[in-house]
Amino acid sequence: MTPLHTIAVGYDGSPDAEVAVRWAMETAVATQSNVAVVHAAGLLEHLNTNFARNETPLAVLSLAGECGLDVERLFWYVNDGDACSVLLRAGEPPVGADLIVVGSRGQGQHPGLLLGSTSLEMVQHSNVPVVVVPMPDPPG
Amino acid sequence: MATLIMNELYDDSGHKEPGHPERPDRVTAALAGVHDLHLGDDLAIVPLRAATRVELVRVHEGSYLDELGAFCYSGGGDIDPDTYATYDSWVIALHAAGAGLAVIEEMQRQKQGVGFIAARPPGHHALKDRAMGFCLLNNIAIAAATLVGQGQRVLIVDWDVHHGNGTQAIFWDNPDVLYVSTHQWPLFPGSGTASEVGGWNAIGETVNIPLPPGATGDVVRRGIEEIATPVIEAFEPTWVLVSAGFDAHRDDPMADLALTSGDYAHLAQTAAAFAPAPGRLVMFLEGGYQLDALRSSVQAVLGSVLGGEGGDEPPSTGGPGGEHVSRAQFERSAALTLMHNASEGEVKS
Repeated sequence: MTPLHTIAVGYDGSPDAEVAVRWAMETAVATQSNVAVVHAAGLLEHLNTNFARNETPLAVLSLAGECGLDVERLFWYVNDGDACSVLLRAGEPPVGADLIVVGSRGQGQHPGLLLGSTSLEMVQHSNVPVVVVPMPDPPG
Repeated sequence: MATLIMNELYDDSGHKEPGHPERPDRVTAALAGVHDLHLGDDLAIVPLRAATRVELVRVHEGSYLDELGAFCYSGGGDIDPDTYATYDSWVIALHAAGAGLAVIEEMQRQKQGVGFIAARPPGHHALKDRAMGFCLLNNIAIAAATLVGQGQRVLIVDWDVHHGNGTQAIFWDNPDVLYVSTHQWPLFPGSGTASEVGGWNAIGETVNIPLPPGATGDVVRRGIEEIATPVIEAFEPTWVLVSAGFDAHRDDPMADLALTSGDYAHLAQTAAAFAPAPGRLVMFLEGGYQLDALRSSVQAVLGSVLGGEGGDEPPSTGGPGGEHVSRAQFERSAALTLMHNASEGEVKS
């Protein structure tokens, strides 16, 4: 089996995305690979910037610490586009991921909705392997 | 003065979300720009109609249409962080798509006039199987596909500040549609580099002119003259459709280009010059979120192509981007050379 070099994972700040990021980081620690945390900057982000392009969010750094991931192995990307297109491009340079991790639903997506489902689109169109991390059941 | 042929307005007030910039007021502002022209009998309003399933599936996958309709009728919600739909959105989107078809049918009857589609939601980001970027159905692509089905060769000029990724993707490999886009880059949706030149069956029939923040009208004009015009003249379109987004205006909050209403008037005249005969130019409202800029730009654009005035603001000059146009020309040429060499090698082998 070809060793992993870079695992890309989508991040939109939602609790579901944090579950996916945690899975990617734990896998990276186990396989000694890098993690590229990728945020898709949508149309509305021009009005209200959610994430700085050159500054890894504290929540991501905190997750890396909890997972024991060396920050030297952590890379932060903000790329323009919808989540699916941005994550599909993560398989190409400069990210060059050989595995892409997504949560089973992202910000603004309804559980079970196929319309706009990033994970479904990724599985259908990605040229590199995709892992869809299921979200824990809501409490109660 | 030529006749302006417009769609009858549909009540789009049910397609809205609190605080969202893609809102019903946009059509009101565009309409005010039309009224500012005082066209009188030179304004013709075409009865509205919904696009039919047959017309929609020329562009969109049936399964996507089914799901979008069902999603709306279940109450709607956010499709992605940018794009929403409500209970009313499905019927409103059908009429936005049908508006272009109805106007084109009237222009084919009259064999004259300039068409303008004041409808929303906009369309140029919508893919065959996915809503995105505020767009549900790709209105201009549905119109273009209908014309192509009638044997026409369609030029789509997209001057929205965002690249029309949906339109490009839909016609990527279609030799009967030439897609030309000027847009800010990098910016949403992330596509639109100059090296994207079309598929194997339509090599060179996608023309992208990416521009840096702050670019002014003179740079846009240079890009169209140097990169797009030779391709358009060789293509010999029989219809010209425009994705008329007005968010490249310097006052628009959604991006950072620095165009004025005078620049839009010039762009409209340029697009009109590519139409081979009267009654072959149709403009579709896409973006444009600053209402005063939208109103004045619509007035300037329509005034200029109808033979009137071209807007209160003079064309802009002096912004960055000249070197980007040169680089875009180089990248496009390199991509075309690679594709031509590859296709020739394939034939030889």
